[in-house]
Amino acid sequence: MSAGSLPSGSQVKDPGYPTPSENYLTNSKGILSWIFTLDHKRIGVMYLVGVTLAFGVAGLLALLIRLHLFQPDGMVFQGEEANNWYNQVFTLHGAIMVFLFIIPSVPAALGNFLVPVMLGAKDVAFPRLNLCSFYLWVFGALFFVSALCASGLDTGWTFYTPYSTTTDSSVILATSGAFILGFSSIFTGLNFIVTINTMRPPGMTWFRMPLFLWATYATSIIQVLATPVLGITLLLLIAERTMHIGIFDPEYNGDPVTFQHFFWFYSHPAVYIMILPAFGIISDLISVHSHKRIFGYRFIAYSSIAIALLGFLVWGHHMFTAGMSSLTTIIFSALTFTVSVPSAIKVFNWLATMYKGSISLTTPMCYALSFIFLFTIGGLTGLHLGTLATDMHLHDTYFVVAHFHYVMVGGTLVAFLGGVFHWWPKMFGKMYSEAGGRLSAFLVFAGFNLTFLPQFILGSRGMPRRYATYDPEFAGLHQMSTYGSMLLGFGLLVALFVLLRSVGAFSRFGLACGKKAPANPWGGATLEWQCTSPPPFYNFERAPAVGDPYDFSDLEWEADEERYVTVEPKREVIPEEQPKPAPAHAEDSN
Amino acid sequence: MFALMNNMPHLLGDQLASKFTWFPEQASTFAAENDWLFFFITWICVLFFIPIAGCLFYFCWKYCKPKGQKAESNTAHNTPLELAWSILPSFFLVAMFVMGARSYLNQRTVPEGANNIGLKAFKWGWTMDYGKGVMNPELHILANEPTKLSMRSSDVIHSVFVPAFRAKKDVVPGRYNYMWFEADVASERVSDEELAKAKFENGDGVWDYDKWQFTQDGYRFFDLYCTEYCGKNHSVMQTVVVVHETVEDLDAWIEKVSKRPADQTPEAWGEKLYNQRGCAGCHSLDGTKRVGPSFKESYGNQRRFADGTNATADEDYIRNSILYPKKQVVEGYQPVMPSYQGQLSDDDIASIIAYLKTVSDYGPKAAPVTDDEETNIEE
Amino acid sequence: MSTIEASPEVGHDEHGHDHDHPPFLAHHFDTPEQQFDSGKLGIWLFLVTEVLFFSGMFCAYAIFRALRPEVFEGCSQFLNTKLGAINTGVLLFSSLTMAWAVRCSQLEQHKGLVGTLAATLSCAMIFLGVKAIEYSHKFGMGLLPAGLFAYDPSNPHPDPAGHPPYLAYICAPFALALAGVLVWLVVSAVTGNKFQFAIAKPLSVVCVCFFVGVGLGTFLESGEESADHVDVHADPNGLATASVMLEAEESAAADAAPAIAASGAMIPVDESVLEILATDPTNVGVVSGLNALEQQTAAAGTSTVTGDGAILGAITTTEIDVMTPTTAGVFFSIYYCMTGIHAIHILAGIGVLVWLLVRAVRQDFNRQYFGPVDYVGLYWHLVDLIWIYLFPLLYLIR
Repeated sequence: MSAGSLPSGSQVKDPGYPTPSENYLTNSKGILSWIFTLDHKRIGVMYLVGVTLAFGVAGLLALLIRLHLFQPDGMVFQGEEANNWYNQVFTLHGAIMVFLFIIPSVPAALGNFLVPVMLGAKDVAFPRLNLCSFYLWVFGALFFVSALCASGLDTGWTFYTPYSTTTDSSVILATSGAFILGFSSIFTGLNFIVTINTMRPPGMTWFRMPLFLWATYATSIIQVLATPVLGITLLLLIAERTMHIGIFDPEYNGDPVTFQHFFWFYSHPAVYIMILPAFGIISDLISVHSHKRIFGYRFIAYSSIAIALLGFLVWGHHMFTAGMSSLTTIIFSALTFTVSVPSAIKVFNWLATMYKGSISLTTPMCYALSFIFLFTIGGLTGLHLGTLATDMHLHDTYFVVAHFHYVMVGGTLVAFLGGVFHWWPKMFGKMYSEAGGRLSAFLVFAGFNLTFLPQFILGSRGMPRRYATYDPEFAGLHQMSTYGSMLLGFGLLVALFVLLRSVGAFSRFGLACGKKAPANPWGGATLEWQCTSPPPFYNFERAPAVGDPYDFSDLEWEADEERYVTVEPKREVIPEEQPKPAPAHAEDSN
Repeated sequence: MFALMNNMPHLLGDQLASKFTWFPEQASTFAAENDWLFFFITWICVLFFIPIAGCLFYFCWKYCKPKGQKAESNTAHNTPLELAWSILPSFFLVAMFVMGARSYLNQRTVPEGANNIGLKAFKWGWTMDYGKGVMNPELHILANEPTKLSMRSSDVIHSVFVPAFRAKKDVVPGRYNYMWFEADVASERVSDEELAKAKFENGDGVWDYDKWQFTQDGYRFFDLYCTEYCGKNHSVMQTVVVVHETVEDLDAWIEKVSKRPADQTPEAWGEKLYNQRGCAGCHSLDGTKRVGPSFKESYGNQRRFADGTNATADEDYIRNSILYPKKQVVEGYQPVMPSYQGQLSDDDIASIIAYLKTVSDYGPKAAPVTDDEETNIEE
Repeated sequence: MSTIEASPEVGHDEHGHDHDHPPFLAHHFDTPEQQFDSGKLGIWLFLVTEVLFFSGMFCAYAIFRALRPEVFEGCSQFLNTKLGAINTGVLLFSSLTMAWAVRCSQLEQHKGLVGTLAATLSCAMIFLGVKAIEYSHKFGMGLLPAGLFAYDPSNPHPDPAGHPPYLAYICAPFALALAGVLVWLVVSAVTGNKFQFAIAKPLSVVCVCFFVGVGLGTFLESGEESADHVDVHADPNGLATASVMLEAEESAAADAAPAIAASGAMIPVDESVLEILATDPTNVGVVSGLNALEQQTAAAGTSTVTGDGAILGAITTTEIDVMTPTTAGVFFSIYYCMTGIHAIHILAGIGVLVWLLVRAVRQDFNRQYFGPVDYVGLYWHLVDLIWIYLFPLLYLIR
């Protein structure tokens, strides 16, 4: 983008162009202006609402699971069909969390909002495709709902054959939903790759991109390369159920292990679709809130790409006990260990970034610290599972459950919350209560550990996963876990309350909404902090000045206004104030 | 529920103080090695985690500054340092991988002369095949001798997991998977009085393993779980592993479960054999022509053989067909039935004949099976 | 797909902009080059996902071919190589016309563009017409995926009255489309709407081409029909023995359908799997496993009848017979999945080509803006390329 493409004064010529007082939230009104919007920011907000709803549903199911497991013979579901109910609940918890929440959470919700703004672009490369992928997401979600209403789903989110080809539940509806969601994911990834490749403004070289963009880029590569394989696998599964094509069903000479290979070829890289963007968020959060240049930018950027590529080679570690040949198993184990190296690099780099920084313990920073702590535990326990001999004991026990919840919840969800708290002022233009935010971060951290630490011990003591009832010897740890899950749920509600309160959702109850957010409340040097909060329709009234995204030297804190401003115009800085004398808008000029 | 919540401190106390262990009992040759490796990895993890968490909290405390203060340093990178922390931990990873892979190879290499037991998994239960047609849901093995399980599934994927042995393997339909282990702790036997008391209290119903913590033969046991999700009763798809001290003890148990129990009619026992011994695969009960003739028209029927001769299917003919199946082959069928010589006792054969009488449309009709007390051990 | 995004309608005209922005340039792009590059990268990425989508099926093909080579060798003889070859030629030619169309759009030869696009569409329709004949023929013979497999070697061509008129079902939507286009052609001619007439004219030719394909397929398939009849007449009772069928096969032409039932008996027996299992003393349960297998085969009703004491041992009979649902089904499953999904891609291609045709008639494309034609061209070449792989894998390798 050339700096002259939007010469100053173009607004004056053209009354259609939004005036600076109009941000993307207010520049057009009415429900239709949201339904048919092509604006990446509005699509991002719609995704944010959607994934939050999906998370709420799946989270309630999780609480049901934990409550049921409070007693060895089950507390919630009773009677003849109790186990079937339990099976459906854990299946839907997993399927909704994976397909409807974690995969789209950071890339689609935050990514959509942030990628073009961070790039200094006006929109993603294909805005219509972007809207299309949102509606595909909605459509896929509807399929899941209809599966739930029809006869439920009890296969586990992995859809393993031959169970999924023989069960009575609505496998076809659910797999069609996952198929459609896969396309939503592919189109989002494709859009981001093209956007990052072709729409960077002059001056933004690859190594001047914020690390969140690197992570999104790596994620998008996985989405584009792995998801089609899930698509064909699910299609073949549907064909297997309807026509008995005999590829996965042993009754017709098919091979169930082939299904597992196909499935995990997608679903293991999908794990990195879930965690890579979280790495990106944390890299940015740690650097901004430590007010210090990120340490080892290139190592972090390269390690994202390395994880994306290595992630394609390790799917077999989900199948160590399935009956692959010993040689294959050992090769997959060796490859699995290689993935842990780039992940470890990132943790060390984040710590080194904090070293000698100027740390503000804001809410996003609390979440970021919580992420490092929890993700490190999740990553390290992965070593037990990657080691073949110990995996023979731990595979498909609660140890695995705890491990991936530490990575997915302690990792992705916490990073997502951190990201939401970090960019919330930018997205909605309001500051939230810092005390409330920090409280939620602490509650989530404590509740999470109380929920899942006991599950490591349950697993090593031999408690298998997906059990509706269990031997009484495991009861105490299960109960600890249930108490923890309630605390975790409460913490998440606090977070939701704090955020909704800031935008005035509870103003009718006398709870004041948050203060107006300045353009740069945290002192970030990436481009999104150069536009107003919330951004205008085309993001920047003028082409932003592209500089080093991690150079904080020219940002000064203005205590009166509670904002950061750029003092020393060593880059091409445009004053925040309006060129037009518009007193009515003066207070919006931040 | 609230009552339970009040109970919590007590339960937790139990858990944390007296019963706390990381692992179940070590009962196989794999267990000690496996646990050692687990703790080895865990200590390495702790070695890394403590400094990481320590730095995290220390930096937060030490470098927490009021807003607007500049960072003390802005070092962008330090390549030697970064290379060091990328490469050095890899040595630990290599060590873990090598030890894990060696131990795994050991678990996959069945020693010469291992005892063989067939295992069939189905929704939702297990059948162990001890050879010679002895089948039982409980797994009984010998201490200090390797045992190999040859496993197959008749419906969906299941997985055999014996926590005390630290061994696990999926049972996949359409293929034979195997696993082996060597138990090194024999199951104790409870006293006869205790057993008698439990038997009396348990009554005639299904034996409550969880309640008594020993089998109905009086042995303590190790749990065997299904760990691959298989549907409704996945969580109760469990059985027990009993480790016998001596081969005589094991043989005595096999002898005991393979004989017709005194309280069972020959017809009922014959029906069980029909279902268990593979007869049902080739001989239908409803007249359907499978690999062999249907039992609906067997006993008492006139049979014409492939060599042109004729005979009535009487007791002697059926007995001969079981023991020497290729001698008289009914016309229109292949001589493919394996001989059951040495696999069925005389009593078994008599029971099968008694059962065939009840299902055949020909000949003198025997009294139908009325004995509902029969406990099908597969249930 | 992503071509849609690059269309000039994208963007909000209500938000004005500088007037040096050409009408086809979407608002969020700065230059036509940026827009073109974005579209090009987008379509290439989309093609990558397509390749990976098909790669799943190619993997399934490789796995099952490696597991059961005799099934694939035997069953591929049921596919008519002539029809496959014709279709390959038709698709290759369509790729040529598509590439030509891209050139025409770059040179602003509007008439040539419409013509070449219509030619590409016609080829696509001929392809589908031939495919309709292939499919309906196999449906009629019961050569279906494992669960629906109903092929009976003794009666390979059941009475057409006994099963639904598959060909008519497949042709019905195309006939409707043809009728619709013809009505449109007449209406637009009568009302004098030149623009609509210019679209309907090539489209009617395109729709007719489907039936050209059907005719072509029927003509080529009929040679084979006569060969089949020999077999049916030789065995009116449907109780074929191997020898009778072998004679029928020899008297017939080269790759006639009944060949398999006879040559099935000639194929070297792949006993290895069961043999290994049976000889391995550790497999305690193998006896009952074999029992189950025998029972399955017997239930299929083919081996026990033809055996008639000549063949010793049920295992041998089981393995010889390739044409049982459980064995042959997987070949046809893979055949239908691969060619079916390929056909769906052809249909999608027809959709976007029609959209291009409309825009070509409207003369939307010029030297600076020919992206959509280029992108659809790339997509079309990929669909062609996939067929180039499918044809030898399914029809030729034996």
